[in-house]
Amino acid sequence: MSGFAPTRRALLKAFVSGAGLVSFHILLPKSALGAAPSASEPGVEVTAWVVIEPNDIVRLRIPQAELGQGIETALSQIIADELELEWGKFKTEFYDPQINRTRNNVYVHTAVLNSWGVDMLFEPMRRAGAQIRHMLLEAASTKLGVPVDQLEVSDNRIVERAGTRSIGFGAIAVEAAKLPIPDANTVRLKPKERWRYIGKPLGRLDVKDKVTGKTVYGIDVQLPGMVYAAVRQSPVFGGRLISYDEKTISGRPGVLKVVPIRGGPSGYTTPPSLWDIIDFEMDDAVAVVADSWWTAQKALDDLPIHWADGPNGSVSSSTINDAFLEAIKSPGRIVRQEGDTAQALKTASKVIEADYHFPYVQHAPMEPMNCTALVNENGVEAWGGSQYADEALRIAAYAAGVALKDAKFHLTYVGGAFGRRLSQDYVSQAVQVARAIRGTPVKLIWTREETTRRSYYPPVALTRFTGGIDEKKRVTAWKAQAVFGSAPFQPYGLSRMPFSVPNVEFQYIGIETPPPFGWMRGVAHTQATWMNIGFMSELAELAGVPTLDFHLSMLNEDAVPKTRPDHDDAVARIRRQRKLLLELVQRAGGRERRGKGLGRGFGITDMSYIPGYHSSCIAAAVDVALDGKGWLRIERVTVVVDVGLAVNPQNVEAQVEGGAIYALTNALYGKLTLKNGRIEQGNFDEYPMLRLAEAPDIAVHIMPATGTPSGIGEEGCPAVVAAVVDAVHAAGGPRIRRLPIKDNNLGFRKA
Amino acid sequence: MRVNLRVNGDPVTLDAEPEMPLLWALREKLGMCGTKFGCGIGLCGACMVHLNGAPVPSCKVRLADVEGQEVTTIEGLSADGSHPLQKAWVDLNVPQCGYCQSGMIMAAAALLKVKKKPTVAEIDQSITNICRCGTYVRIRKAILQAAQS
Repeated sequence: MSGFAPTRRALLKAFVSGAGLVSFHILLPKSALGAAPSASEPGVEVTAWVVIEPNDIVRLRIPQAELGQGIETALSQIIADELELEWGKFKTEFYDPQINRTRNNVYVHTAVLNSWGVDMLFEPMRRAGAQIRHMLLEAASTKLGVPVDQLEVSDNRIVERAGTRSIGFGAIAVEAAKLPIPDANTVRLKPKERWRYIGKPLGRLDVKDKVTGKTVYGIDVQLPGMVYAAVRQSPVFGGRLISYDEKTISGRPGVLKVVPIRGGPSGYTTPPSLWDIIDFEMDDAVAVVADSWWTAQKALDDLPIHWADGPNGSVSSSTINDAFLEAIKSPGRIVRQEGDTAQALKTASKVIEADYHFPYVQHAPMEPMNCTALVNENGVEAWGGSQYADEALRIAAYAAGVALKDAKFHLTYVGGAFGRRLSQDYVSQAVQVARAIRGTPVKLIWTREETTRRSYYPPVALTRFTGGIDEKKRVTAWKAQAVFGSAPFQPYGLSRMPFSVPNVEFQYIGIETPPPFGWMRGVAHTQATWMNIGFMSELAELAGVPTLDFHLSMLNEDAVPKTRPDHDDAVARIRRQRKLLLELVQRAGGRERRGKGLGRGFGITDMSYIPGYHSSCIAAAVDVALDGKGWLRIERVTVVVDVGLAVNPQNVEAQVEGGAIYALTNALYGKLTLKNGRIEQGNFDEYPMLRLAEAPDIAVHIMPATGTPSGIGEEGCPAVVAAVVDAVHAAGGPRIRRLPIKDNNLGFRKA
Repeated sequence: MRVNLRVNGDPVTLDAEPEMPLLWALREKLGMCGTKFGCGIGLCGACMVHLNGAPVPSCKVRLADVEGQEVTTIEGLSADGSHPLQKAWVDLNVPQCGYCQSGMIMAAAALLKVKKKPTVAEIDQSITNICRCGTYVRIRKAILQAAQS
């Protein structure tokens, strides 16, 4: 299957690894491998994508985890359209990673990352739906004795176009499943004029269960004879377990066992075919098993545990800050260079320099980490949420010490994740405990404090900007030197800024910091977009020009040198960003707000990682009010978004609303600190979240559809952080160079 | 210790430690998992239930203190999801991950019991649960919509 999606994957791979272009194959099924569904739910598998039940109801396999992003509904819309299903006359089930493993990645893209779910699966799932539709038509043709061209598909049935005969999917599924699968490259797709579901603001499929408490998340899995485990990891990153005093708690009612957990692999956080193979590993831990989780946790709290802190035991936020300031004295790896920045700074009429800081933050999903596991003579079975169930399966097998074929991972609904569940440490822990109590299922649950303190963290970052303007108030030089804590090489958020500046230089320095790296909603752009726009605003002030006017003047396609290898891409990005900013100004109610203490700020991002990157573009305006005593109120957020084609517009709006709130929480409050190698904050009292009273009104405008869908899970975050920072200054507040905003002598009022 | 209480109208006898939080008794002893664990210290509201009609975080309520009391959970708010709040929630597609939503709805239901037509300010003041997906804007709208019905 060449010709779709892989282009970008290949580019990314080449970009990240520095290797040349690699061509990729996306495989759609070539033959029907008939794995029988469980006897309790009768049906016939027709390709890996669906199971057809005798009553014509179709079970759709969703090759992504549902973390709240609405993917279950959006992907159902895509395949149901090609399959001509009646809306509601289908069920969904999460994919089985064992099927994906044994059938050569038949589900194409199963990791939940980079807002790629709909983007990556839009074409494969349409093609899969079309393949199945053709197979059903063939089978019906044989059964009814009517040529295929006189049949059509309608609401889970095959209907004779000019006649009265029809037959349900259920009556032909067995025959259809035996037919050869049409070539995915040439299978005929529905013309978009006939789409019934794609592009419609349909209601979420999961909403009824979610308002009645019926949805089963990982933490809700119940198995006969199940016991419970509480877990504590080394409080210091990289610390080792030395010993624990089991006597202290043994014999307590309900307490069954204490199990040491070995540190080690926690799974690749991205598909190895796509990116560098990265496993950020996990540390040693101790689990207490009991007949209730509360009993287990209470015993664990009383269990004396001796850890060896290791070299990170002396690391604190202040030592990390010192290391950053030391590192920035040396030149970094040059990531982007155009013109002669040093010379341009010498000849500039005015020059400014500013340091921007981003702290440690954490995903804080509402559902604490957890996993349920059973190890017995058949192998291992695990149940839970994961953003990468393929890896959860692999880690479960590894931790159980069984062959991959003897492992099962049952993907459940996920109570938020935001990148956290791309590491499978909690799966390994649960399986290690299950291995120590073979034959008994165990549910392992973390406390909120453990969830905060033992996460995988986006890096702390410091950027030193130097910029110069000439007498005509044009930016002639832009230099940025960035230092990032432990992370894969990720300069793109900073270096891909779209401003047209003749002399540009980006340097990147990565230094090792103890907390292990984790992907988080808004990857690298969350750190960088507000910095770039903030410094641009400082240059605007230096030039004496209103920020938004200055911003637009820096999006000047004529100033992009024709010699730039990515000239066309740079121009396209500039045009798109100008268009969205101008639309946003209209929708937000103008370029500025008049009145003392009122401010409107603007942010924009396309989250472009590399030239030619297929992504959404989102522009956000944030209105704030600031009183003389430093109390800040977030009043309103206005967003304009170009997602290519919105498969489900109401869901796009929900993602933007949620992304805005997520961004405001991080911008206003988000900060974790280290002391003696330990994260100091634990629960929501120490790591506060935005609440309803502080939530502003949010208006979302989706630009008319063009092309194919691009992602929307993450994009709202970087743009809104940038906009709120800009708004604080516009309201007469301080220039924010260090997040969170609360660390700038500001407090927050309810909206 | 044996504790007798009523859960969603049904008499229930629990044999558990008196200090055990109601949250864990509901989830593990009764298998009623609609009530969620979020923070364990009564700050996030994911475990909100009604105790004699009033909203409480069930992670902070000891079994010893609910002898003879009446507990309502999300499973008992309505038989079939027909509570006006549940209907408004579905209509406006409020939940995303949905994990906090049981607690949110129980908090909102308690508010509507004492304030049939709450103002936006009253909603903001009384709904202090945490939602990490950021569904707050729709929650506000859904409560107002339910109050109209």
